[in-house]
Amino acid sequence: MSTILDVRSLSRQRDGKAVLQRLNFRLARGEVMGLLGPNGAGKTTCLNLLAGVLKPSSGTITINGVDLWRAPQQAKRALGYLPERPPLYPSMQVAEYLRYCAQLRGLAPARIDHALNRVLHDCGLEQVKRRLLGHLSKGYKQRVGVAQALIHQPALVLLDEPSDGLDPVQAAELRALLGEHAPECAILIASHQLADIEAICDQVLILRDGKTLYQGALQPNHRPALKLRLMPPVRPDTLAALPQIDQVSPLADGALRVELSPGTTAAMLSRALIERGLGLEELSPEPSDLRQLFFHSISSGCAP
Amino acid sequence: MIGLIARRQWCSAFETPLGWTLLAAASVILTWVLLKLLDGFVGPQALPPTALNIALSRELFGTTAVLLLLIMPLLATRTLGAEWRDGTATLIGSAPLSQAQWLAGHTLGLVWLSIPLCALPLLLTMTLLGSAPVDVGAALAATLGLWLLSLLFSAVGLFAASLTTQPAASMVLAYGLLIMLSIINGVTTIGAEQLSWLDWLSWNQHLFWFLIGAVRFADTLYFLLLSGLFLALAERQLHNRFDP
Repeated sequence: MSTILDVRSLSRQRDGKAVLQRLNFRLARGEVMGLLGPNGAGKTTCLNLLAGVLKPSSGTITINGVDLWRAPQQAKRALGYLPERPPLYPSMQVAEYLRYCAQLRGLAPARIDHALNRVLHDCGLEQVKRRLLGHLSKGYKQRVGVAQALIHQPALVLLDEPSDGLDPVQAAELRALLGEHAPECAILIASHQLADIEAICDQVLILRDGKTLYQGALQPNHRPALKLRLMPPVRPDTLAALPQIDQVSPLADGALRVELSPGTTAAMLSRALIERGLGLEELSPEPSDLRQLFFHSISSGCAP
Repeated sequence: MIGLIARRQWCSAFETPLGWTLLAAASVILTWVLLKLLDGFVGPQALPPTALNIALSRELFGTTAVLLLLIMPLLATRTLGAEWRDGTATLIGSAPLSQAQWLAGHTLGLVWLSIPLCALPLLLTMTLLGSAPVDVGAALAATLGLWLLSLLFSAVGLFAASLTTQPAASMVLAYGLLIMLSIINGVTTIGAEQLSWLDWLSWNQHLFWFLIGAVRFADTLYFLLLSGLFLALAERQLHNRFDP
């Protein structure tokens, strides 16, 4: 896979304080990376640097083999960016604005109509294409923001909180849309929505105070895990013999982490436990791998 | 890209009531000034028709210069301030164009917007053609002077808007700078007629020659140089804004 984004020793200082420190990563075509971290971790600064809106104190950013600060105009042609607040002109109509963005991104005039119709359809904006941007709801504004980042089919898409303001249905549609675009480009998403990151991304970068806490592949959860607490407690190997349970492992707080066998539900497991006379005290969904990874990284200051 | 930004600015001004309101208000004021001026040329104590062109330059085109002084900084600070307010500066920052192109687009947009306003006194003057000895050449020279003046006022407004994201603060700053450029020669002209460098800095000295129908290279150069200076300062400031 060809490298789209190459970030080396990227640092940014402001008022003598390091906002971002020696960030290194690569993104290839087809890869989707999630950028996670608590508020003030440096996620938005990182995206602004990658978008060429801010200048780094040191380090290099290469987009499609072009240095962003040596040849900014050439590098930015391959870039689509949705900032934290969608950059909209309130007095413009949706279609008029997207056409303007396509022209601003240097899309050839002959391709603009086709690109506009495609992005209006993909982002579900056909119904509101004649509406003024200032009159749209927050969800629609966010969709227009995503549309302007995708209209020129860039090689690199940077999205800062893309599902902010979207209802669950719209958020699912956005995830599907990004999934469709993912094979043709590299996508970097900063978000607080761990479910979004888990659903879309195959890599994750966790930041805190501008430093990289964790960077690597995101292993998808094959089956949903459950947290099980029995009274009196039993040994994990006793439970492993049950046909409803595929894997079981002890947790730090004395409870057990249980992965169900294919076709088994939590209700079926609880019935089996009660039939065997085991005292069921707690049966709840276990946080996902990403959730565990995130909280462990943030609390310990390093990756597990 | 420059033309694209300028066109958006033109559309933005006339998609909202602002552009139309300013144009309508300017039309009413200038028509009233013309009618008042023509009053002096009728009746028993009428001025000689030869004084008409001087009166037109002083009253009609002079009033337009004052209107430009009020309107152009307002439009300039509003247009650049809105980019920060609406977050669209980020869109521009991540687009394949330089800050110089962005600024040039805004300047061109403002200069386009000023054309109808600068042409208003010329159109009003033309209504007298056939019934009064109107000097068309002098009117055209005065219109060119007004247009150059609007370029200078736009440049000062954009420079002020580049200094702060607060539209009110940048507007006060722009008016302050322009008023200073209007009265800077006051110190030396009291009792002295020689042209000092402070006289040269004052825009009204240079506009005066255009208003009396004299298009001089030195005056044209003054407007272009000073506008260029303020635009260069604004470009530097914008560059620093993206690299604080």
